[in-house]
Amino acid sequence: MKLQRMRIEQLRQFRKPFVLDNLQPGLNLIHGPNESGKSTLVRSIRAAFFERYRSTAVDDLRPWGDSAAAPTIELDFEHDNRNWHLAKSFLQRKRCDLTIGTETYSEDDAEEKLAELLGYQYPKRGASKAEHWGIPGLLWVEQGTGQDIEQAIEHAGDHLKSALNSMVGEVASSGGDDLIETVRSQRDTLLTGTGKPRGDYLQLEKDRALYERDIEDLKGRVQHYQEQVDRLGKLAHDHDQAEAERPWEEAQRQLEEARTRYQQVERLEQQQVQEKATLAQIQENRRLLQQSKEHLEGLSRQLEGRKAELERAERDLRVAEAQSPAIAGRLAEARTAYEQAEKQRKLAGLLQTQERLEQDVRRLEQHKQAQTQNLAKAKDYHQQLEQARQQVRENRIDSAAVKSLKATANKLNEESIRSRTIATRLSWQLETSASLALNNEQLTGQGEQQLLEESTLVIPGVGTLGITPGGEELASTRRKLKTLEDSFAEQLKTLGVTSVEQAEDRLSTFESAERTLKHAEDLLKSVAPAGIEQLVSEQSEAENELERAKSQLQATPEPDQKENVPALEEAEAAFVQAGTTLDKAEADDREHQATLSALKQAWHNAKTEWQRLADEEKSPERQQQLSQITTDLANIEKQQAELQASLERREREIREARPEFLKQDIERYQNAANHLRQTQENRGRELRDIKVRLEAWGAEGLEEQLNEKEAELDQCNRRYQELHRRAQALDLLLTLLTEKRQALTRRLQAPLQKHLNHYLSVLFPEASLEVDEQLRPGTFSRGSELGQITELSFGAREQMGLISRLAYADLLREAGRPTLVILDDTLVHSDSERLEDMKRILFDAASRHQILLFTCHPEKWQDLGVAPVDIQASKEQSS
Amino acid sequence: MPKFLHTADWQMGRAFTRFETEDGAALVEARFEAIEKLAQLANEHQCDAVLVAGDVFDAQTVSDRTIRRVFNATKGFTGPWVMLPGNHDAALAESVWTRAQRLGAVPGNVHLALQPGIINLELQGLSILCAPLTQRHTYGDLTEPFSGYESPEGFPRIGLAHGSVQGLLHEEIDSSNPIAPDRADASTLDYLALGDWHGTKQINDRTWYSGTPEPERFRNNEAGNALIVEVSEPGATPKVTQLPTGRYQWHQWRETLAVHSDLEQLLERLNALPESAVVDLRLEGSVTLAGEETLLKALSVAEARFRSLRCERSGLQFAPTDEDIAALKADGYVGEVIESLRQGQGQEDTQDDAARDALAILAGMLREREQEASQ
Repeated sequence: MKLQRMRIEQLRQFRKPFVLDNLQPGLNLIHGPNESGKSTLVRSIRAAFFERYRSTAVDDLRPWGDSAAAPTIELDFEHDNRNWHLAKSFLQRKRCDLTIGTETYSEDDAEEKLAELLGYQYPKRGASKAEHWGIPGLLWVEQGTGQDIEQAIEHAGDHLKSALNSMVGEVASSGGDDLIETVRSQRDTLLTGTGKPRGDYLQLEKDRALYERDIEDLKGRVQHYQEQVDRLGKLAHDHDQAEAERPWEEAQRQLEEARTRYQQVERLEQQQVQEKATLAQIQENRRLLQQSKEHLEGLSRQLEGRKAELERAERDLRVAEAQSPAIAGRLAEARTAYEQAEKQRKLAGLLQTQERLEQDVRRLEQHKQAQTQNLAKAKDYHQQLEQARQQVRENRIDSAAVKSLKATANKLNEESIRSRTIATRLSWQLETSASLALNNEQLTGQGEQQLLEESTLVIPGVGTLGITPGGEELASTRRKLKTLEDSFAEQLKTLGVTSVEQAEDRLSTFESAERTLKHAEDLLKSVAPAGIEQLVSEQSEAENELERAKSQLQATPEPDQKENVPALEEAEAAFVQAGTTLDKAEADDREHQATLSALKQAWHNAKTEWQRLADEEKSPERQQQLSQITTDLANIEKQQAELQASLERREREIREARPEFLKQDIERYQNAANHLRQTQENRGRELRDIKVRLEAWGAEGLEEQLNEKEAELDQCNRRYQELHRRAQALDLLLTLLTEKRQALTRRLQAPLQKHLNHYLSVLFPEASLEVDEQLRPGTFSRGSELGQITELSFGAREQMGLISRLAYADLLREAGRPTLVILDDTLVHSDSERLEDMKRILFDAASRHQILLFTCHPEKWQDLGVAPVDIQASKEQSS
Repeated sequence: MPKFLHTADWQMGRAFTRFETEDGAALVEARFEAIEKLAQLANEHQCDAVLVAGDVFDAQTVSDRTIRRVFNATKGFTGPWVMLPGNHDAALAESVWTRAQRLGAVPGNVHLALQPGIINLELQGLSILCAPLTQRHTYGDLTEPFSGYESPEGFPRIGLAHGSVQGLLHEEIDSSNPIAPDRADASTLDYLALGDWHGTKQINDRTWYSGTPEPERFRNNEAGNALIVEVSEPGATPKVTQLPTGRYQWHQWRETLAVHSDLEQLLERLNALPESAVVDLRLEGSVTLAGEETLLKALSVAEARFRSLRCERSGLQFAPTDEDIAALKADGYVGEVIESLRQGQGQEDTQDDAARDALAILAGMLREREQEASQ
């Protein structure tokens, strides 16, 4: 396929017709700067083929703001030795016409013809997208997508296979892929992707398990039913037999017999128990008699004991009584000592009080004296203070006013001096007689006067001279002088002084008086901080206190024997000691009295006891009692012997009757009778139960149900087997078809690999690029490097993408398919060395295919060996 | 001159596996109809009684409905029916019979021979000596006590038993429920009515198996009959007449298809069968694409015509001829697939069935495509 000419009109920036002709069969380099319309040309070629002429989704073709436009594209190309002319316009005028040699097609027919020629498809609706582009999608590389080879190959898939059919001849299958899809869809209704049953097939498998379970269950129940029937048969037989034989009645008879014998033994045992009780009573009696006898015989021994006790009590009492006088003596002694100590202590206390009072009087007298002195000083200081205060009052003057007065005086002085310098000086030296009158003032002798004002000098006899001092300055000086003089006089008056010196004297006097005042105040504060009145009252208080102390001292009695009195502490310690000794003596005394009375009581008791026993021992009743007891004892011993013999005899009798065995026999016969009866009753009950149960189960028709379930299972099984076989068959079929189809694809691999290697050897002499089963370039290896093409750098991927596309073009050409390669600003990421190699590759490919290379960098492609076409220039030519 | 109808092995309550649900139901229904047919025949031939020699019921626990329907079906004949428990419905402590009695389903004219002994039908002048099974299996001859049973003077002695006549039917020595082959003579019976064997079979002049009145399996020839027995007087040789009662005929064919004419013959024979046939076909050999098509079509027709048709074809190779394959126009790799499936069929492995089916499916798809294309 060779594109010869293209013409576009009313399309984006090409509002006017634009023609690109003289396209070469090999390489064509078409360049123009950005915005020149390069991309529009590429878009136009795509639109001419891919977009439906009646599509409403091609607004991008419309020139900006021109809603009435009908974007039109005309293409002339040669394929298979025939000339094709395509004219397609969109939007406002939707048309498509195709002329092939002498045949003409229009509208949809024309479009289908084109799709068939190039191997692509149209979108059902909307704009054409990458998935519709088929083979052109692989050969026409859009800007910046050169590396995305995999996607393009996938979209080209079916078109590629059918296009390459002629190459692989008999192995390709017409409609084989559809067949695979049919088989797959049928298989997928039965099996999941991993080959597990699904849908009906799965349901049947589940149903089958369900049936099997039900059948198992029913079989179990039938079995149970049959067992119960057998049990019923056996029970009925046993029941009837037992009912005829009645074995429990024999057991009952034996039981009665055993009971009678046991009752006899029981009577014997009762007698035995009674006699044993009697024996016990006799024995108890005998023991009591024995005790009485022993008691009576023991009386004399007790009497001796009592006698000894009485003597011991007497002895103890006498010892205690002997101790009494000593204890009483010790008590009286302690009491005297205590009284003495108490007296001493009181005396010592009195002495101490007296001493303390004397000290107080001395201290208070001193204090009173100090107070009196302070008061005298305070009064003196107060007087000084009053004088100072008087002084201050008399000489009060404001120091700031004095300062101001001094400043005014200074200024006045300065001004006077200044006025003198500028004043008119009138000096005179008169004859002694002569006189002049200046301003009515007589001047004589010699002198000098400065004149600041207009003056009149009267020279007697001569007349009057008028003197007027000259200059403005003089007048102002004079005015200032006057002002200062007024101010000075005013200030003097205010201060009430006549001169500055007087003012200063007064100020000095005032300040000195103030210092004196401050000093007097401080002194007064030092002796009377709270004032003189306070000081006076404190003094009178001290006097009072002194009076009190003195009267107290007089009231205190004089102790008598002053020389023998010990210190108070000593007296107190002695007093405490004496108290303790007294306590101890009193306690000893009390204790002794208590012991004494206890001993007296003990002696008394012992005496009474001894008396009582002595009386008893001697009584005649006691002798009589003793002989009676001896007789009774003999009788009782005889009785006891008789009873014991009788007991032994009966014991033997009971033992020989074996009552424990008799008891067991009774239990055994009882149990046997009960058990036999119970068994029969149980049988009867079980019989009824089983009958009821069987009636209920029988009504369910278990075996008939089982039969039916088995039939259903069989049915289910058959259907399952059918589906199972079908699933197996479909699975096998799908596997085979897929395998064979893959084998076919592999056969296309070899030629593609050959073409790929051709280009790759230019780019990377030592490298290899494997084509996988989906005919995609996959594993790339170079030296020891090994990896997928997607792992390469962007530039390398773009280069690999391009050579893969060229290899496809070669393959398609061999299959007799049209090949047109369009590259839109491709290889921009290649370095100059690689670009050089790619140029060689492109030049080589161009010997087999027409290649349209669009670029905005014509300088990079200068050495491509073809004349570049400048869009800008062509545009101007066209217009 | 007493005359009675001898039947046995009704097997009521049996369900049929290996059939479509609808067909199974029809076959069950036919068994009820067979009882009605027996009643009708008893009336037609003016029989004095109907004797059922065991296995009235197929199991002890059949549904109440089945029990009631069985006795309802006997209503057509109002004379006495004597029913004997067989091995399937033995008179156990609790049995289908005790249930029937409890349900009140047993009409007054139906005698249940639940205990061994003699039932004298006074009006009809017949003595029925009964040997019911009272256990599931017995290994002694239950008819032995017949010799000891006294019957009224002038009443023909008719034995009624269920089991295997020894030495005649089964080779196995230990067969359960044995019956002595000379029982009729030994116990001076005028006739011994037997059940258990589902085909009609004469043992001797006085001893017969009546067989089941409605066939229920593919084996057993001579099923689907009842016997009318006439005993002119005690000691006379009975006159036995065999009457057909069955509605459906069961056919089981094993055929090998080698050449096309084999198939044609098979289809002719199939066409000749009446509509009341129950057919089980098992085909072996091989069939061409055209043959397969013919076969499928014929089977489809037959399925609709017969009560039931089942055809097992797993032993039948699908062997399309080269012309068949060419007609499918399978080119390229699809052609290769067909070839490998054709080869795969002959192999002795599990792929065999799958390959055969796969080939058939593929051929079907391709033919469909061809037909679409040619339209």
